[in-house]
Amino acid sequence: MSEGAASDSASAGLLPLTGRAAGEILFRRATGETVTRERFLLDVEATAERLPERGHALNLCSDRYRFLVAFAAVLVRGQVSLLSSDRTPHALEQLVAAYPEAYAIGDEADRLPLPGVEHAPLRLEERRRRPGAVPLVPARRIAAVVATSGSTGAPALHAKPWGALVACSEAAADRFGFSGPGTAASIVGTVPPQHMYGFETTVLLPLHAAVSSYAGSTFFPYDVVRALEAAPAPRVLVTTPLQIRTLLAAGQALPSLEAVISATAPLPVELAREAEAAWKTRVLEIFGATEVGSIASRRTVEGELWRAYRTVTLRPEGEEGAAVGVAHLPGEVLLADRVEVLDGGSFRLLGRRADLVKLAGKRASLAGLNAILCAIDGVEDGTFFAPDDLDTNAAARLSAFVVAPHRSEAEIAAALRARVEAPFLPRRVVKVPALPRNDVGKIVRAVLAELHRDAARRRRHPELS
Amino acid sequence: MGSSSPIELEVASLLIETLHLEMAADEIDPTAPLFGDGLGLDSIDALEIALAISRRYGFELKSDDEQNHRIFASLRSLAGHVAKHRARPDAKV
Repeated sequence: MSEGAASDSASAGLLPLTGRAAGEILFRRATGETVTRERFLLDVEATAERLPERGHALNLCSDRYRFLVAFAAVLVRGQVSLLSSDRTPHALEQLVAAYPEAYAIGDEADRLPLPGVEHAPLRLEERRRRPGAVPLVPARRIAAVVATSGSTGAPALHAKPWGALVACSEAAADRFGFSGPGTAASIVGTVPPQHMYGFETTVLLPLHAAVSSYAGSTFFPYDVVRALEAAPAPRVLVTTPLQIRTLLAAGQALPSLEAVISATAPLPVELAREAEAAWKTRVLEIFGATEVGSIASRRTVEGELWRAYRTVTLRPEGEEGAAVGVAHLPGEVLLADRVEVLDGGSFRLLGRRADLVKLAGKRASLAGLNAILCAIDGVEDGTFFAPDDLDTNAAARLSAFVVAPHRSEAEIAAALRARVEAPFLPRRVVKVPALPRNDVGKIVRAVLAELHRDAARRRRHPELS
Repeated sequence: MGSSSPIELEVASLLIETLHLEMAADEIDPTAPLFGDGLGLDSIDALEIALAISRRYGFELKSDDEQNHRIFASLRSLAGHVAKHRARPDAKV
């Protein structure tokens, strides 16, 4: 596209599906095959032609490249992708309930039992012809709706205009040096494409920045090491604190890494230092939230200050709060974390709010979890309990205390499993005669902590009970 | 609930130790699902299990193994996979 045509489109509010040049590589597949811009455009054209004529598509693809093709085909057809990193039947049913005409798209292996939802198979076939022009998409078009666990138990839905997604990719490309001339970096990502961080950093970035992404499985350390070995340098690992810790513990040698990027949970500085030393690389962190996407970054070992992307504005709001403005997103968003906003687009995180728990890159509200618990048949009162080391101990999990004289712990645990994402399931359900509530009905945390310790002791020493 | 073989009890102990589960090895039903309805483990736990298995038994779990969902289906299938693949069959456990 010529400069003139690009600026004409931009002034009309249109942004190209991809800004990559002809012949550039966007993806590397598990087979070793590389996907050029032309191959990608052909796959999108062929897929878009076959999509059902509906408004919304639930993208279930686990293969990162197939996810991208489905997303792009849905986008150019003027439909909206629905994304949920929570794959429990209850969450998907609730999401689909908000969009009753939605269909699901994915491989046969991605098919999930969703009654009444049509499954559109994704077929990629080699087509030997030249693709048409790069599609132009209105910046204001809603490209995706990303679901997260809401505070009431129902999913919270976050609409993402195409312009906001493109602006974020371009800001990240600037920040991490993925723009301008030079060798394209090879990204190996370990975060699901349906998660906002995985979506932005491992799926959308190759459309607008000089990177290629790896499409195959990257769950176990073995997979990550093989994927990195197969990737041409410079290599960038896009991952989470948990997987950094697991990969270090696995103790396998890695090929040279240009950088490691971490998000979804605070990365302890000791772990960042250990990873930088072991892999002779820089460990960078992204801060973001599903509502706003990625908004800032830092190199963990250099200090606790975050630097906002150039497309982001921050201002203090309320007690230890921050309102965030992001290019192409309507209005400001109040961050869920406690934040101290500093001058010059930097900020410091002061910790999570008491109601918020973060596990496995997901966020839940204790109030929301408590509402689910208390709605279980036979539960008279109940509360989840977050241990003090929840943010620092990767093995720490929630517990639940319930007043339910006629239900067993196992029955309550089973009822929760259908409604609560696995990371937030209580490791232990403890029945109590009454919850420790003070004069105004508020639960006394110190007493819960004592009950929690007692329950653990009794489990280890049954003779005490 | 079926009774567990020695290797199943051994792998059950490894799970309990790794995941800080509050139960005894013979309390894990060898045929119950580890994820979802059974023990309710999650993907974080799967990573921890993979790491513990590679340390104890000297072999790696990998995603491109098409048997994966079957391997993690139950304690019995996981123990069977360990018995078949462990690099140090005589290793002290």
